[in-house]
Amino acid sequence: MLYREAGQFKTSYGSDQAIFPIRQDQIGIALLLLVAVLGVPALAGEYWLETIFVPFLVFSLAAIGLNLLTGYCGQLSLGTGGFMACGAFFAYKLTTAFPELHVLVVFLLAGVGSAAVGVFFGIPSLRIKGFYLAVATLAAQFFLVWMFNKFDWWTNYSPSGVISAPPREVLPGIFLTGTEATPITKYLFLLGLVAVLALVAKNLTRGAIGRSWMAIRDMDIAAEIIGIRPLWAKLSAFAISSFFIGIAGALWAFVYTGSVEALAFQIDRSFQVLFMVIIGGLGSILGSFLGAAFIVLLPILLNNVPAAIGLQMSVEMVSHLEFMIFGALIIFFLIVEPHGLARLWQIGKEKLRLWPFPY
Amino acid sequence: MEPAMEPATAALEAESQETPAPKRLGETLLSVDDISLSFGGVNALSNISFEIREHEILAIIGPNGAGKSSMLNVINGFYQPQKGRVSFKGTTFRRMRPHVAAKMGIARTFQNIALFKGMSTLDNLMTGRLLKMKRNFLWQALYYGPAQKEEVAHREAVERIIDFLEIQAIRKTPVGRLPYGLQKRVELGRALAMEPDLLLLDEPMAGMNVEEKEDMCRFILDVNDEFGTTIALIEHDMGVVMDISDRVVVLDYGRKLADGSPDEVRGNPDVIDAYLGVSH
Amino acid sequence: MNATLARPLTLWLLALPVIIAVLGLALQGLAAVNASVFFAWSYFLEVLFAGLLQGVMYALVALGFVLIFKASGIFNFAQGSLVLFAALTMVGFIEMGLHWTLAFVVTAGVMVLLAVVVERVVLRPLVNQPHIILFMATIGIFYFLDGFGQTLWGSDVKVLDIGIPKQPLFVLQGVFEGGILVNAFDLVAALVGAVLVIGLAVFFHYTRIGRALRAVADDHQAALSVGIPLKTIWAIVWSVAGIVALVAGIMWGSKAGVQFSLALIALKALPVLILGGFTSIPGAIIGGLIIGAGEQVAEVFIGPLFGGAIQDWFAYMLALVFLLFRPQGLFGEKIIERV
Repeated sequence: MLYREAGQFKTSYGSDQAIFPIRQDQIGIALLLLVAVLGVPALAGEYWLETIFVPFLVFSLAAIGLNLLTGYCGQLSLGTGGFMACGAFFAYKLTTAFPELHVLVVFLLAGVGSAAVGVFFGIPSLRIKGFYLAVATLAAQFFLVWMFNKFDWWTNYSPSGVISAPPREVLPGIFLTGTEATPITKYLFLLGLVAVLALVAKNLTRGAIGRSWMAIRDMDIAAEIIGIRPLWAKLSAFAISSFFIGIAGALWAFVYTGSVEALAFQIDRSFQVLFMVIIGGLGSILGSFLGAAFIVLLPILLNNVPAAIGLQMSVEMVSHLEFMIFGALIIFFLIVEPHGLARLWQIGKEKLRLWPFPY
Repeated sequence: MEPAMEPATAALEAESQETPAPKRLGETLLSVDDISLSFGGVNALSNISFEIREHEILAIIGPNGAGKSSMLNVINGFYQPQKGRVSFKGTTFRRMRPHVAAKMGIARTFQNIALFKGMSTLDNLMTGRLLKMKRNFLWQALYYGPAQKEEVAHREAVERIIDFLEIQAIRKTPVGRLPYGLQKRVELGRALAMEPDLLLLDEPMAGMNVEEKEDMCRFILDVNDEFGTTIALIEHDMGVVMDISDRVVVLDYGRKLADGSPDEVRGNPDVIDAYLGVSH
Repeated sequence: MNATLARPLTLWLLALPVIIAVLGLALQGLAAVNASVFFAWSYFLEVLFAGLLQGVMYALVALGFVLIFKASGIFNFAQGSLVLFAALTMVGFIEMGLHWTLAFVVTAGVMVLLAVVVERVVLRPLVNQPHIILFMATIGIFYFLDGFGQTLWGSDVKVLDIGIPKQPLFVLQGVFEGGILVNAFDLVAALVGAVLVIGLAVFFHYTRIGRALRAVADDHQAALSVGIPLKTIWAIVWSVAGIVALVAGIMWGSKAGVQFSLALIALKALPVLILGGFTSIPGAIIGGLIIGAGEQVAEVFIGPLFGGAIQDWFAYMLALVFLLFRPQGLFGEKIIERV
């Protein structure tokens, strides 16, 4: 009853191509943003902001990045962790070399640097596909982490191999990183940045470049014959994907954890982001958010629910259970709904359109 | 299409039921010259030469495995022949590349449908416009403004093709869910969206029932008529071939057997042998 | 073995001494130019041998991948966790007091059971899905089994000892002063590998099930339509892969202890597959040898130039460079794309 688009006519192709063509959705997203900007900081405590909302936003960005490459362009990558490490270390080197550079610029430049690395490791995708490419991206994963771990130039010769984000202001007097930064600043900054970048990703995927990616994903031969050059389509996907992932890595190191070592970006991280994309929905920006939320919340639930119902479990046990549940969920989603949570959301909306008279 | 042409075309359509209208056959649009192609010792094509003239409908026929699809693959650069050259619009290519062919105005459809199955009909057709979309990715990332204007302009062009092919109702359906006949039509639509000068159709009517075939014939003739698009098609249904084509090239075992008007080809003894078995 | 395999194999066997000599000479040259590189022929051969035998161990893991890929077109990422799971289970049974032969039989039974469950729960609902979906499903199995095995048997490092000799041997003492150090254990591993490969090759080429396996690999639906029982075939092939994983698990477990990192060794099997081609059993062996020898030699002789630990990524880079020149692998078939 509430969710009907009857009577809403589109009078131009422009309005038909909008991201949220239905008025109820427009109101919905406006409300959501309002809650996110005003409600969450007011209601959620510092602990919640730090442990749930901040990592959720960082992971969402990484998942969007991987989704552009894997979900939209069909190039499976297991090198996400490596590209995140690029972003983190590039940002660290940049901001320590040029302390006066604004932190936002640092993040964007780190993203550009990661994009360049992504293009380099994307070159094999021109000759190889599928699993072969997945193995090739493993080379990126292991090589990059080794490089950042091995050469202490990257950590400014810190003996522990850990980089700590130096204090930087986002606005005069308001610190985003370092010990003086408040969770609210971090959260709002991330919210703004991630929202803008998500919009950029959405725009790209619904425009010409996104169509050329999907064409390569669905049938590369046909794409070539209608004039898409696989070289440009694939490398641009690698570049833009790594740009997003690199920024996510920089945010991880600077805003979320504050200090990080190269080993934080090992292959587990790659799988973690891949799982977000699969569970959330391949080829869906909304899905990237849903998947990130799911993967961030699950361990917290696992840690708290058994205790809440009076069950005692060792830390080890919990981590093993986490593995099992992740694995089982991946299989479950692939079998039941290969398009992930995003598709379930869509089906829910379809049902709602007809509710309460389904015939 | 120039407006001056329209009344003439309309008149032509009215007449065409009765007498075959005089075609506006023009210069040579594409010529293949002494093409040979082999895969690891198997000769798919040997010393094939023929030409396609502007505005004509050329049919390439032959038994299975005669090298018809390989010929189309050579023309639009998907296969690289070992010998010979392809000339299109006066430019000669030793080796054609698919994206170059697309850029120069060659579009094609495939024997086994090659649509982008995860995308909607509309998006499939829009991919056909990709070469014509000029805004770089920074504009696209911004979307609002020039990129949107461009998007809408191309959407209008695509909508005209949707109307032409009568596929309005499936605009937003993912093509993977469409029945076979409609998929073939969408594939034709994607090729048309490229506004090609030369359209290569690989068995556009394979696996269709009589009604669908009639529809497809009508679309092909209309495209040829209204847009003046040159068409080269592969087809097994002889009735269709004899009806709609201006000229026929016959291939057998990678060699060219005959080349001429449908009536000439029909009477050619080599062709009869190839189709009915050798009797000498 | 048939002629199509025999020819490249003989070629490789003939080429091997040449490759080794060229590699040695190149390193000798490097040592002459750069004083920080140490080189001696006996040491080089020792490292090379150790690498080759390490390669056999990789190949043992890679074999399981090839089996499943050949028979179902699935790239089974979970092979490594099968290895870990098998080793953990075997150790578990031995700790319960079973003799290792009995434990082996029981564990083999567990692996068959696991194969049936995987077929029933994961593969059957995913018939005819794109390969990439199946691949991701095996990543799910990978995670699940890692968690499951450790929940059952704990995550401490365990010792697996079934009495394989481990004493060092010195060979070629006539040629080099002091001879070359070789571990007896590695030789046993090589022997086990050889037996497995021959057994599998015979199985694939001369049995009815083998032929059915190849048919299924080619096209699921077509195989179903001629009456090949897809479910049984998949269960069988996963069982065989499970038993291969058990053997690999025993060898790796005896060598390095049974622990979580075994699951990650499987990742090293991936570049092996790239080199050998996903569908070739001899390819898996030769790929394993090249990767094992290559990374060992690179680590010892070239690694110091870069600060060491290059074996973390050397195998992948080698595979990556190799892919650029021969995307189908050494023994894989060239793919002709048709439209």
